[in-house]
Amino acid sequence: MESKREPERFTIAIGPQHPALKEPGSFQFTVDGEIVTKAYVRLGYAHRGIEKAAEQRNWIQDLYLLERICGICSHIHATAYCLAAEQLAHVEAPPRAQAIRVLVAELERIHSHFLWIGVSAHEAGFETLFMYSWRDRETVMDLLEGLTGNRVNYSVNVLGGVKCDIDKEQTAAILKGIEFLEERAHHYFDVLTKDTMFLQRTRGIAVMSRNQAEVMGVNGPTARASNVARDIRVEAPYAAYKQYPVKMALDTRGDLEARFVVRVNELFESFRLIRQILATLPEGELAARFPRRVPAGEAVMRVEAPRGELFYFIKSNGTDKPERVKVRTPTICNMTSVIKLAVGNQLADVPMILAGIDPCFSCNDRTVQLREAGNKTSSMMTWEELRLHGIKFYEGLYK
Amino acid sequence: MNTEEILTLASGIVSSWDWATEISRPNPKQLDVKVNSLQELVPIVVGLRVKRLGYLAAIVCLDPGPASKDMEVLYHFCPGDAVIALRVRVPRENGVLPSLCEVIPGAEVFERELHEMFGVEISGLHTPDRLYLPDDWPINVYPMRKDFDPNVLSAN
Repeated sequence: MESKREPERFTIAIGPQHPALKEPGSFQFTVDGEIVTKAYVRLGYAHRGIEKAAEQRNWIQDLYLLERICGICSHIHATAYCLAAEQLAHVEAPPRAQAIRVLVAELERIHSHFLWIGVSAHEAGFETLFMYSWRDRETVMDLLEGLTGNRVNYSVNVLGGVKCDIDKEQTAAILKGIEFLEERAHHYFDVLTKDTMFLQRTRGIAVMSRNQAEVMGVNGPTARASNVARDIRVEAPYAAYKQYPVKMALDTRGDLEARFVVRVNELFESFRLIRQILATLPEGELAARFPRRVPAGEAVMRVEAPRGELFYFIKSNGTDKPERVKVRTPTICNMTSVIKLAVGNQLADVPMILAGIDPCFSCNDRTVQLREAGNKTSSMMTWEELRLHGIKFYEGLYK
Repeated sequence: MNTEEILTLASGIVSSWDWATEISRPNPKQLDVKVNSLQELVPIVVGLRVKRLGYLAAIVCLDPGPASKDMEVLYHFCPGDAVIALRVRVPRENGVLPSLCEVIPGAEVFERELHEMFGVEISGLHTPDRLYLPDDWPINVYPMRKDFDPNVLSAN
């Protein structure tokens, strides 16, 4: 006998409060039993209108603004912006500056990948691995702090070059630090590929074939884990990657385990690259002179952030402010794959699938509207008012 | 394929629609294609996609301001080192663009952003909901347009 009853469906909302990382994003999964049958995403909880704000600031102010799009990959945002602006202004940063940009970018990649190993381990319920990897991450954060003065938002770039140099002591500290990190990365590689409990959460889960990855347009380690050879450092070398070529880490399996393997292999490549740069750092100036007004034109700049391809489009109108700055971050491309891959998988695997692309919501969300608690009226503030409000707020806090 | 071969192949594909396109090379790595007929946009993208040149890196909208009747939308395809930019013009008022989702599923998020930030209608979009803006954002207010006035928000 045929049942006429509609199959019962249940929609589960995950988020907006930290669906995977401690960042906001809202997902709705329709489930049939334990299996996800439909997925829906809603973003924007960390949208700060940075692209709009960039049109109202001058070229130098924008550097500091755009660096704050993301706390983890801040350096690569600034690098992409500087390279695009330099392309428009026909200025070339000196070789030493380009090498330092790459060096810091690779340290940042190590920082990001260690952070990600921890987050994914946490999603899988492997808290020990989470704690250890984040403890080790402190090493690379200390190195970045020693080099630039900041743990995040290192502010290494200036338009036309970099502002921090590397001396012998710092070189020795970096070499010592990455030696420790390399040893730890070998250990994590063993854990991630041999621990039976962990493999049950990663092996054969959310498999994305090469064709699927190409159709969905995913990029970064997520694409390389599906054997799509897409790495901007190799395809379109920028800064000093021509002098310091990178070997692409690829995997053919396309499952979550492959995404771990690719990222850990990228760590080894970063260690190698850093050693090579430190051994052969070109001598010379740190920055070239950059004009206040940038000639009119359009520039496209693509760089490889820890999470994948970061795309910058800048249009200049010949004044001291850009006409348009468009930022397309890797997470937004990879988000499509989460929505498509979740369908057909167990609901319990969804956090791991999401963590598998290493999402960065601050990156993909980019008018400040204020709401006072208990008061439904909202008010607008200019950036200047917001700045003064911030100063007043913190003064009150520390009185 | 090296950059030159990619761009030669791409301009070969695009020139099949030569009544509707204008090709230029602003720099050695980039091919700019002005698409003058919106009907031809999807077929050209299919053409690029078939030859594996269809990695859509971004959709960028440029609003020259209220003095202009049109906005310009750029579709950046980035195979390898090359950049292929399809440029279409769309009216500021009631502008409609065809959706690329059927050919490139990843285009959905870009198109939803284009719609809510610039007010370009996308025909054939499966989920035309808001992606970034809050639920109570006033309708017909597009924050990335040059003439956006933030005070409309406090009026509500």
